[in-house]
Amino acid sequence: MSARKIVVTSGKGGVGKTTTTANLGATLARRGKRVILIDADIGLRNLDLVLGLEKRIVFDLVEVAEGRCQLRQALIKDKRFDSLSILPAAQTREKDAISQDQFAAIVECAADQADYVLIDSPAGIETGFRNAVAGANEAIVVTTPEVSAIRDADRVVGKIGDAGKPIRLIVNRLRPEMVRSGDMLSVDDVCEVLSIELLGIVPDDEEVIDTTNRGEPIVLNDGGRLRAIYEKIARRLEGELVPFTNFDSPTFFGRLIGALKAG
Amino acid sequence: MAKGLSPLLLGKRGVTLLRGRRDGLEVTFAGRDLGEAFEELEARLAGQPSFYRGAFAVANLGATVPSSEELSRLRDLLTGAGVTLRAISGFGESLESLARAEGLEFENAALPLSDSARSLVADFAGARNDIAQRRKRGEASVRRAKIEPAGRGAPAPLRLVEPVAGTLYHTTTLRGGQTLQQNGNIVVVGDVNPGAELIAAGDILVFGRLGGIAHAGAQGDENARILALNLAATQLRIATYIAADEEAKARPAPQPEAALVREGRIVILTVDRLNRLEQSGSCRRERA
Amino acid sequence: MQQLRNDLIRSEASELREEATGVILSEASERSEEAKSKDGRAIVITSGKGGVGKTTTTANLGTALAVRGARVVLVDADVGLRNLDILLGLESRVKHHLLDVLEERVQVEDALVPGKHTDGLFLLAAAQAREKDDVETLRMQALIASLRERFDYVLIDSPAGIELGFRNAVAGADEAVVVCTPEVAAVRDVDRVVGLLGNRFRPQLIINRLRPALVRKGKMLSVEDVNGILRLPLLGVIADEPEIIITTNRGEPLALRMQTPTGAAYHAIAARIAGDDVAAPMPAQAKASLFERLGAMLGGKRR
Repeated sequence: MSARKIVVTSGKGGVGKTTTTANLGATLARRGKRVILIDADIGLRNLDLVLGLEKRIVFDLVEVAEGRCQLRQALIKDKRFDSLSILPAAQTREKDAISQDQFAAIVECAADQADYVLIDSPAGIETGFRNAVAGANEAIVVTTPEVSAIRDADRVVGKIGDAGKPIRLIVNRLRPEMVRSGDMLSVDDVCEVLSIELLGIVPDDEEVIDTTNRGEPIVLNDGGRLRAIYEKIARRLEGELVPFTNFDSPTFFGRLIGALKAG
Repeated sequence: MAKGLSPLLLGKRGVTLLRGRRDGLEVTFAGRDLGEAFEELEARLAGQPSFYRGAFAVANLGATVPSSEELSRLRDLLTGAGVTLRAISGFGESLESLARAEGLEFENAALPLSDSARSLVADFAGARNDIAQRRKRGEASVRRAKIEPAGRGAPAPLRLVEPVAGTLYHTTTLRGGQTLQQNGNIVVVGDVNPGAELIAAGDILVFGRLGGIAHAGAQGDENARILALNLAATQLRIATYIAADEEAKARPAPQPEAALVREGRIVILTVDRLNRLEQSGSCRRERA
Repeated sequence: MQQLRNDLIRSEASELREEATGVILSEASERSEEAKSKDGRAIVITSGKGGVGKTTTTANLGTALAVRGARVVLVDADVGLRNLDILLGLESRVKHHLLDVLEERVQVEDALVPGKHTDGLFLLAAAQAREKDDVETLRMQALIASLRERFDYVLIDSPAGIELGFRNAVAGADEAVVVCTPEVAAVRDVDRVVGLLGNRFRPQLIINRLRPALVRKGKMLSVEDVNGILRLPLLGVIADEPEIIITTNRGEPLALRMQTPTGAAYHAIAARIAGDDVAAPMPAQAKASLFERLGAMLGGKRR
């Protein structure tokens, strides 16, 4: 049976597409799925960096498309996970180096060898984005709870929706204390604007930047809270009904302070 | 800083047959015709008849596996000058078994690989094979220079150089995503940032920090070299050999280094060392 | 816990205030030299990587330059994903956009939206329901050239990426500012962009969202790490502050509040762009002192 082909996109740059692709992919692999991650950001490749695999790149997406090598030769196995591989993008080329059909064909080829193919889309809504979407039959839209990110996500949802593919939402980098103080939009606010199925809520975590710089996906962290969060997302992706972590409930201390203020 | 055993390496520019080591004599045959070498050895020993008397010797054979007769001949030659053959140095199981059969010690000349280096070697073995296959079929393993059509409002395309023999001399830093290709040598005065790519049929010299991917000898020349003031490449490629330094940490005081192929893999020497070894006519492989 | 962290960030960032404020106020009322004579300067603000703060920088830099008395127009080149209007609090006031002008349906004067909080600042918004392909490079260049005749500064907010949108944003500019965060992926992308900008530009660098505490702990790249690779003239370094998100959502650029560290930093950068001899703003304690490292080792937070 062919794999599920999911594009991870956002519109706005910097909201966590690549980090999400890497960590979700790793989590699915840990659960025993065969996962292939494809970096569609030709010219600005980062998926390899985020997974610490940049030194192992021998062939890339464009070379596969040009027939210079087979897909399996370009795939890099991540030794930390039993069944995770990535297809890196080309760095010295431009996004028009590959056509939608070529990209879709490569995704199809990958789908024959995997249970999940996750496509890391570039930022924006130009050629790179269109290619990335063309290869997929499902989408995950990532946004942060900020007005500009939501607006861009909305645009992207519209575009993908036109193509009739199921779309789900991940709200990334939530800062519950800022939501409580009214300085950040809540998940409900976000969902109200975007009205698509919520797949996951990921809180902001200071460690993410460092782990990204070091090429160690944060889900490698045993007992880290993000690992549990991505587990939940993976389970929901598989169709399980998993309740969302409630970040809004204040801690006991907070409740006490609240009571004192009110009283 | 020598790591483990330092095997003797050959420069194709001349071999020093006899060298003194701390523990005795080293006779180097690796890569040479044994008959020829034996004659030379005989002559050398005869020239200084009692000089070496009483010493022990190690025969550096590299990948060559001599026959028992050849080995006997060697022993006799040495014994004639009062030298006892103690050990054989080189690679491979056959050589090791021969040593044992003849009652000699065996010095394994293989570089000890770390786990990550071993896994990289495995990774790249397939890729190397593919590159080799392509070349066998007559296809270049170097991308041919492509002239990009000027599109509407297209920016100046990345500069791809027409393949001409000779040296490409590039005098600015190369940024990520930029690439230089040359059917000759490439010299960059400046840095090569991560994400950039150099592909040369000849040598590559970077008068600065080499951070991207460098492919020297891209049309199959295994003698090609990569040199840099600060060798910190994401990946090094020479002919069909590929190497990456997984454990590279920022070195406090980078020194000029050279990457070259020796005995089946890419090794890195300080340029200083390389110069001295070239002068003495042989190379000792070390990781500085 | 989070409150503590916020306090920490705020108090670290407040050191900037002391250095920066004194210098800026003295120049605020003077008109910059350029404005008096010839054509204005067209500066593109770009990065490659998304989410590093291009739009925030454009909004704040534009505001700071206008506060100094320059006439500034901000052009949002992110067709289809416009955001500059939100950051300036002008989204409800946009009647016409870039493509209306380029396709000659309106005159540029009718499309310019005056800034809410600052005199001399105008916005030319992007179109939301269009595509970047619709922008013709030659027309974009002509528009920027004509804007330069009427304004001291034309700041062009580039979209993320290196595709047509980026190229069009760059096409009309004669100077470039690149924005980078202290992250490996961002540095790679900015490096690529600098390479693509080519010989026409000598880009200047703004490092954004630095967190000195994380740099000290070795959990974030330092200024030297970033510019050691990029090797660009440094306009300034801006520390990460929670206020930035808040003011973004509210449409009030921090540059309006010169006494905040971020506001002060943008003013210093604006002064440097204008050619004043002002030091590059730098968050305090971006380098660990021996004392602090000792403190960190002993487990406490020392000042």
